[in-house]
Amino acid sequence: MDFKRSIKEKKYVVEISQREVEELRNSIRAAYDKVIADYVERMKRGWAGRPKVMDYFYEMADFSRREKELIEAKSEGKKIIGYTCVFAPVELILAADAIPVRVSCGLYEPAKIGNRIVPVEVCPVIRSTVGAKIIGLSPFLEQSDALITALTCDGMTKLSEIMSDYKPVWTICPPRLKDTEQSLSFWRSELLTLKANIEKLTGTKITGKSLRRAIERVHRANRVFRKLQNLRKEKPVIMGRDAMLVTQIAMWDDLERWTEKAELLCIELEERLKENNLACPPDTPRVMLTGSPIIWPDNWKLPNLIEEAKPQGIIVADELCSGDRFLYDPVGVDEWTFEDMFTALAERYLMPSTCPCFTSEAGNEDRVNWLINRVKEWRVEGVIYYIYRGCMLYAMEYMRIKHALDHLNVPTYYLDTDYTREDVGQIKTRVEAFLEMLKARIEI
Amino acid sequence: MPFAGIDMGIQNVKVVILDDDGKILARSISPSGFEPAKAAEQTFREALSNAGIRRDDIKHVTATGAGLDMALEADSTISMVAADAKAGVYLLPSARTVIDVGAEESRIVVCDERGNVLDFTLNERCAAGSGAFLEAMARALEVRIEEMGELSLKAKGTASISATCVIFGETDVVSLIHRQEPKHEIARAIYDALAERIISMVHRVGLKPSVILVGGVAKDIGFTAALRRKLEAEIFVPNYPEYAGALGAALHALAKAGGNIQ
Repeated sequence: MDFKRSIKEKKYVVEISQREVEELRNSIRAAYDKVIADYVERMKRGWAGRPKVMDYFYEMADFSRREKELIEAKSEGKKIIGYTCVFAPVELILAADAIPVRVSCGLYEPAKIGNRIVPVEVCPVIRSTVGAKIIGLSPFLEQSDALITALTCDGMTKLSEIMSDYKPVWTICPPRLKDTEQSLSFWRSELLTLKANIEKLTGTKITGKSLRRAIERVHRANRVFRKLQNLRKEKPVIMGRDAMLVTQIAMWDDLERWTEKAELLCIELEERLKENNLACPPDTPRVMLTGSPIIWPDNWKLPNLIEEAKPQGIIVADELCSGDRFLYDPVGVDEWTFEDMFTALAERYLMPSTCPCFTSEAGNEDRVNWLINRVKEWRVEGVIYYIYRGCMLYAMEYMRIKHALDHLNVPTYYLDTDYTREDVGQIKTRVEAFLEMLKARIEI
Repeated sequence: MPFAGIDMGIQNVKVVILDDDGKILARSISPSGFEPAKAAEQTFREALSNAGIRRDDIKHVTATGAGLDMALEADSTISMVAADAKAGVYLLPSARTVIDVGAEESRIVVCDERGNVLDFTLNERCAAGSGAFLEAMARALEVRIEEMGELSLKAKGTASISATCVIFGETDVVSLIHRQEPKHEIARAIYDALAERIISMVHRVGLKPSVILVGGVAKDIGFTAALRRKLEAEIFVPNYPEYAGALGAALHALAKAGGNIQ
């Protein structure tokens, strides 16, 4: 009896007065409004001749417009389903007529508040997401009626527990090996449980018809998502940090509207490519980012440094779960039966994933192959391996990736940082030295 | 016409003046203090007077170092990594790995025969791999940093500490003191810890001979001895290793403004 009661009690909740919560929320919200305004301003300054449609994305970069829309949708009875990780199949959420939003926190200050529950050694995305929850800061997390969390790394695993003190949490557990006999069937059954949970919350049955409609909707987004990336293979028609912002906004925007706007952007960029109307000089060193997720807004620290550095660099591709990986792979359906669609959905969210939570005898080969492909097709001249303290899986995979890239004669730089603005000067020195080296290599 | 390089280091400002053949005319050094810009100006003036020339004689000034934005007189700037590579190859033409251990930062730079950077790494977000570590440890050991090197040479290597961070290192030193480990053994353990730290950085980029060691800490015989004990390669230490950054910057000035090194 006692035991039963104790598990119903909050497990991790900290004691904090309502007054402190409000003070912290207001001061941090004011601080990040400023960060967003400043970063958007810098992006505008960095790309003076940008297409007009970029203004839409700059507007959406400020969370408040979408926050209002979510509140409105909720008042009309729609459910908002948050997810912490790209393993969550957005198709299932859309098929139940609910709204998907990614909720991992890219703000620096809440990490300090998260320290009240989670030790500082833990990855700052986790600490920041926890901190944001404690003070009710993050608009999308607050609006979510339930959360999907994937048990990928240790941080995400325990985050699920902590979040379950506040909201219904549905964990999905990806197998750490992709190609054993049970892997796919296990993962498929995880998603079936998730489907049942979504149906229960929304009161909407996911049928073959609604799933197909959702898959097709996401297919349209996939196409545009890829198109934008392919446009960065050639001469630089879009600054990297702008492309990254467009990509990231797909994680909280209305997907249809995002697809429409991103399509307009692609059409304009295609024109520009023909006219040789470039966002920066064509010989600007071409950089790829890989490693820990880079989440708007505070983590733009690094993209900003790269594209504002002297010498300047341009980010042409990334291998980030918060970036180019998000909507790159479509669900590959053969037969539009429910069973086939569901298997295809499970495959889509397992097989192409390059997350370092996977392993095999050959190591995380899919990640290596993704990187090699990007280096070749996007003509990448240097790779920045971005890690924040506590991001163990990415940190541990570094040497493996470096060896693979060494074979291609592409320099890799391991950049270690944290959720802090204090190290901007230090990182700037490193980034500029790296770009200077790339520039010298190009000139040789 | 002469060329100048200014290295705006965290602890000291260093200036090197070269003639247009790439010969060193003068060196000068002074503490950065609280007003690095002023310190730079003064060090620069000193170097000019050492060389017996006037400001107007200098054709091009290149700045480098953590505070390079504060070197007001500079015509151009260069990263510390590139400066290390240039200076390394100038000082030792066969150098392909430059190890620079400074007050707050350490760098490993792999370069080609022309001093172009091929790869590099820095001590990330941690002072345990730099001179600051030695200073903190000397304080804990209550010896003067200038004497700790000599002291360590008497040791046989019976003690060891972990150098994962300055704070833990200090705890280790204190517990060794409590165990009544002789001071010279602790001193050696301190240098070994720093050397191990540096060597793990070297292995992350991959060691290519020859190896040259520069930066202020290269003057510390305790450290050079530890590095030589632990690194399986010959290590060349130039005279005046603390001027490598300024020298690299001056070489950049020379290359940039059209001079030639034969």
